[in-house]
Amino acid sequence: MSDKINIPEHYERWDADVKVGKNDDKVAIGYWRDGCKGCGICVDLCPKKIWELIEAKDKWNGQVVRMTDASKCIKCMLCEIHCPDFCLKIY
Amino acid sequence: MAFEYEKYLRMDKIPHLWCPGCGIGIVLKAMLRSVENVGWDKNDISFVSGIGCTSRAPGYIDCNTLHTTHGRALSFATGVKLAKPDKNLVVFSGDGDATAIGGNHFIHACRRNIDMTLVVVNNNVYGMTGGQHSPTTPIGYKTNTTIYGNIDPTFDICLLAKAAGASYVARATVNKGRVLEKYITKGFQNKGFSVIVATANCHTQFGRKNKMSDPISSRKWIESREIPLEKARTMKAAELKDKVITGEFTTDEAETTFWENYNSPVHEYTEAYAKIIEKVQEK
Repeated sequence: MSDKINIPEHYERWDADVKVGKNDDKVAIGYWRDGCKGCGICVDLCPKKIWELIEAKDKWNGQVVRMTDASKCIKCMLCEIHCPDFCLKIY
Repeated sequence: MAFEYEKYLRMDKIPHLWCPGCGIGIVLKAMLRSVENVGWDKNDISFVSGIGCTSRAPGYIDCNTLHTTHGRALSFATGVKLAKPDKNLVVFSGDGDATAIGGNHFIHACRRNIDMTLVVVNNNVYGMTGGQHSPTTPIGYKTNTTIYGNIDPTFDICLLAKAAGASYVARATVNKGRVLEKYITKGFQNKGFSVIVATANCHTQFGRKNKMSDPISSRKWIESREIPLEKARTMKAAELKDKVITGEFTTDEAETTFWENYNSPVHEYTEAYAKIIEKVQEK
C-alpha cells in the first residue's frame, strides 16, 4: 500500500495505525493548509470528530482545521469527498 | 483511497474563488471522479459553461474548456457537438443560467436529445450577480430582490427536463457526494441528453438572508428538505410542500412504462444529423 501513497510535499501529513471494521489498516492523511478556507464541513461530517477548527489570523475566515488524533480514523472518506477546496487526501 | 484530482486540474489556479464551504467544489469533484469512472481521455472532453458562480469551473479543469455568454452555454455546446460529434460534451451550469436566462435553450436542448451531459448546480439564488431571486427560490424565502419573502412558484428542473424530452434525469444533493458521482457517471454513459441537478448551498447570498449564513446550517437545511423518490411516492401532497425529491427520474419503471410510448426520445441528435448529411451528399 505504501507505494501508492502520493501526498505532495507541501501537504501536512499524519500517519497512523487504524482499525477499519475489525481489520488492522494504515492511514496517511494529507492536509493542504494554504488551500483550506476553514469552512468546517469536514469537522461537521467526521463520525469520529477527529478534525477540529482552530484560529488562524492569516485566513480571512479566521479559522483552519487541525487533525487531533489520526489513529481514530475509520477511512470513511466523507471529509475527503466533501472538501470543496481539494485540500484533503486520505490514503 | 484518495482520488488524484491534480490530474484533471489546473493547479496554478487552485485555491478557487468560491466561498468557503460552497457546494460547487463538491459537485466539481464528483464530476472529475465520474470522468475517471467512464475512462474518457482529457483531449476528448469539452467542458462548457455560461455565466455565474458555476461558470468558473471550466477555468480550473485542465482539458478543452469554453466559457460562454449568460444562459447560452447549451447553444455553444450544441455547436461544438455538431462540429465534433466524437467529443464528449459536458455543460456546467447554475439554476439561473440554465432555467432563467437560458430557459429556452435548456428545454430545446432537452427536446433535441443531443448527446451531452448538463450538470445544473441549483443553489436557489443568483449567487455571483448579487443575490437576486431565481426561478428555483422557494416560496417565502428572502433574497436581495424579494426582501419580504418570495411569492413566485418554483421550477422543478428535473420534471421540466423530463417533460421536454431529456433521456436521463437525476437529482442529488451536495451532502451526498458519492450519489452525485454515481448519477453523473450514468449521465456520461447515457447516449442522449442527460440532466443531473445538484442541490447545493449558497450560504453567502441565500443563507445570509434566511438565518443560515454558515455552510453547516445551510447544508443541514438542504438535508432537512431532501426526500428520496421512493419515499415521496407514499407521501401526501401537503407533506411534500417545500421538499426536494432526489433520485433518478427517468429509470423509474412505474412511470416510464406508461409514458414511454407517448413521449420517449425519438433519436439522438448527432446521429440524425449525420444521417441527413449523408443523405444530402449522395444526391
